Parts: sequence; C-alpha cells; structure tokens
Amino acid sequence: MEMVAEQPKSAFRGAEAVLNLPPTSSVSIAYHSLFGPHDDLILLELYEKLLPYVLHHRVTLRGQPDEDAVLCTMSKTYTVKFVGTSNSVLLIPPSDQLVLGGNTQDCDEKDRVKKLVAPVIKVAPGVMELVEVAPRIDRLKMLLSENPYRSDDALMSEELDEMGKNNTRFYSWSDLIDRVQASDDELRSGLQALSAVEIDGYWRIVDQNYMDGILNMLLHNLVLNDWSLNGLNEIEVVGVLQSDGFPCEIAQHCLQVYGSKTDDGVWKLDEKQTWVYAFDVSSLPSAPAERFSMLFRERPKWEWKDLQPYIRDLSAPGLSSEGLLLKYTRRTQPTPDAEPVFSAR
Amino acid sequence: MQIQVKCNCGEQNCPEWAIVELQGVIEPQPAFQDRLQNLEIGQLCRASSQTYTFTVGYHELTGSKVPLKKPLLVLKKIRHADEEKVELEVIGIIRQRILFKTRPKALISSKFNLILP
Repeated sequence: MEMVAEQPKSAFRGAEAVLNLPPTSSVSIAYHSLFGPHDDLILLELYEKLLPYVLHHRVTLRGQPDEDAVLCTMSKTYTVKFVGTSNSVLLIPPSDQLVLGGNTQDCDEKDRVKKLVAPVIKVAPGVMELVEVAPRIDRLKMLLSENPYRSDDALMSEELDEMGKNNTRFYSWSDLIDRVQASDDELRSGLQALSAVEIDGYWRIVDQNYMDGILNMLLHNLVLNDWSLNGLNEIEVVGVLQSDGFPCEIAQHCLQVYGSKTDDGVWKLDEKQTWVYAFDVSSLPSAPAERFSMLFRERPKWEWKDLQPYIRDLSAPGLSSEGLLLKYTRRTQPTPDAEPVFSAR
Repeated sequence: MQIQVKCNCGEQNCPEWAIVELQGVIEPQPAFQDRLQNLEIGQLCRASSQTYTFTVGYHELTGSKVPLKKPLLVLKKIRHADEEKVELEVIGIIRQRILFKTRPKALISSKFNLILP
C-alpha cells in the first residue's frame, strides 16, 4: 500500500482503479459519498456502429409524452426499452467524475490517500436497450389527412396567411419531426410515399379530386397545345396550369406525381400511371392485408412496376417488399422471360 | 417532442466507467441502512491476471473481467430550470465489467475450522 501512495492519486481512484487493477493488488469498493438512486443517470446499450452517431450529436429521442420514446439516427428508428436485471450492477465513475452535480469533494479525503477506493455512485436497476423498428408513418398519414389541400386552399391562400393557420392545423417539417417517430430520412420517404408537397412551408397531401382536376387540365392542355407526352417543358406547363388557376407548387407536384423528368430536362408523362391512377397512396389502408385486398379489387392483375408505388411504404424491418408479395399475392409468369404478374391469393 | 443527445467528450475522450456486477443483492447491516455513504462494501482483488475476487463481509466471490458485447453509454438527464426542455448528455462509456456469477463462498467457516481443534 505504501508503494501505491507514491503514485499519482487520480490514477488509482474510481473506475480506473477497478479497470487497471494490477495482478495481486486490491481496491476497496465503497458507497460513494453521494450514493443514491440517481434516476437522472441512465445506461443506454448501444450497437457499436451507432456510437459515432451519438458521440457526434447525430441522434435524437423523439416522441410525445404519452408515447414510448424512440431514438433516431439520420436514417433509422429504434425503440428504447428498459430491461431490468436482478443482479447488483455497481456503477463506478472515473476519478475525474467522482463529484457529480457540482458538490464539493469534502468526503473522506484522508481515507483516499491511504488506500485505493472505487466509489459506487448507484446500483443500476437495468439498462435501456434499442430495437430497430419501422417508423410511425401511420401517424404522419393521420396528421396530414386532417387537412388535405383542396381547391378552396388554392383560392384563398392569401387569406389563410392571416387567419386560417391559427384555426386549422398545418404541419411544417419541424412540427412533423416533433410529432412523428421517424428518422429524418424515413420521414422524407414517408412524405414522398404519401405524395405530400410542401406549400408555403407546410407539408400537405393533396385531395384526390383536386389532383384529378389538375391532371384533367394537364391532359386537356396537352391536346389543345399539341404537346408531346414525352417532352413536356416544365416552365411552359406550369405557366399554363397557373393561368388556369392552379398554384405553381401544385402544378410542379402534378408533374412529379404523374410523370418523370428525363435526362434532357423535360418531363415525360407516365402513361399507365396517368390513366390508371385511381387513388393515391395516402388514401389506402396502412395494414398490408387490407391494402392488397383493396388493390386487387381495383385491378385483379398487377405488374411489379405498377404495384410498387402502392406498396413501397408498407415494407418494414424484417418485412421486405418481397416478403409482402410472398405473403399477400400469387405470382404468375407465363414464360420465363415475361414480366411476373401478381394477383390475389 | 425532441430530445437532443449531447456529448462534450468526443469519440476518443469519452471517460470510461466501471461496473462491478454480482448476483443477488448486497444487504447492508440494519444499523447502516440509512447511512450507506462512504461505507465500504468490500475488497476487490485481482488474484491473478484472469481471476478477480470480491470479499464482502465474510463472503468471497470469484469472477473475471468481461468485455461487454455492446457498449453502454452513461447518460445524464439535464432538466433546464427556466424551460421545460430536457437534454441528455453522454458523460461516460462502459466497455467492460467485473462479473461475479458464482455463489459466494463463506470465509468464516474455514476460519473457524482452523481455530477450533
């Protein structure tokens, strides 16, 4: 013990004394002078791969007070569950953190110099564990369905700025992050799957009748102006739709929903989607069984590329699109090189 | 609601905490129940490079240092007095524990055996 006293004191107290204990030496394990329940100290079990995200401030906990919290990285969502233990888990801080919460280091100083002490600050009742889960996109859908964008929104967008937003609930990105348990990436793809559009800083889904109206107008203009289905000029299309009374954001949104941008910078209307688009994803049931039964009611046979937009938001960890197809559809392929066709089971 | 998880230590300097884990419960004598602070629990001894013993009262436990499969972060909940905002701060990391998973061996009986003829 004399030999020990000559060493720098700090290296031989707290967690270091326990972790770096040389063979044939010993350390006294004692209750800390501030020993207590310390409910504000939480142990979080982490996947090693998540560690850099946490240490670089890239994770947040999300949830309403009445929900179990989730932990989100940029791309994934994890539930946080408390797992208790019947073992006694003695928690020992390192020497430079022996004093927690700003109390002075008044305790048995003489004792410490004399011998090695590792003080136990609390007995941990268990740890918080993380399990990867699907984002709660259901809630996103519920929130956005409260107020779909309709034709009256387009007419009175100016008045809304003054009065409407106080009475009706609209959600900006940061409102959604506060309310929906999902990572940023998952929220973004959830918004995309619901065909939501950001208008005046608020995320909205667009009422299907209104979308049908603008699509009709677009097709009408296509014939009228002799535009090519495969070479729509965005500025021209948006300009014409605007003069027909549709807001610019909605006109652009229409191109995004019913078409795709080619490498030449022009828009190409997706023929099949344009004619078949009977409903938007946000109006479909979220439960896979109901979703598939509704889709097959609408059309008994689907090719993958037509079906994919309607089910891409359903896949969850441990349940891929392939898994969903296996479970809920019958796959037929007339010839080996033909496109597979999916029908109801 | 969103709670930011903060960390002031950075990847390399996150202070390492230690865990001494044993089965069951440590039962202090009734006289000490209300004043555990600074009370010694026992002596942890590294008997050899692999073996650790933990002597609590008249009981001796035998165990070893075990790396954790997944690291544990020590988080401290910080409640700001002025607002309702809560933050979590990473104040340490735990990567290994001294684990005693055997039942305690009573030391006193062997001593008695030595003393009594």
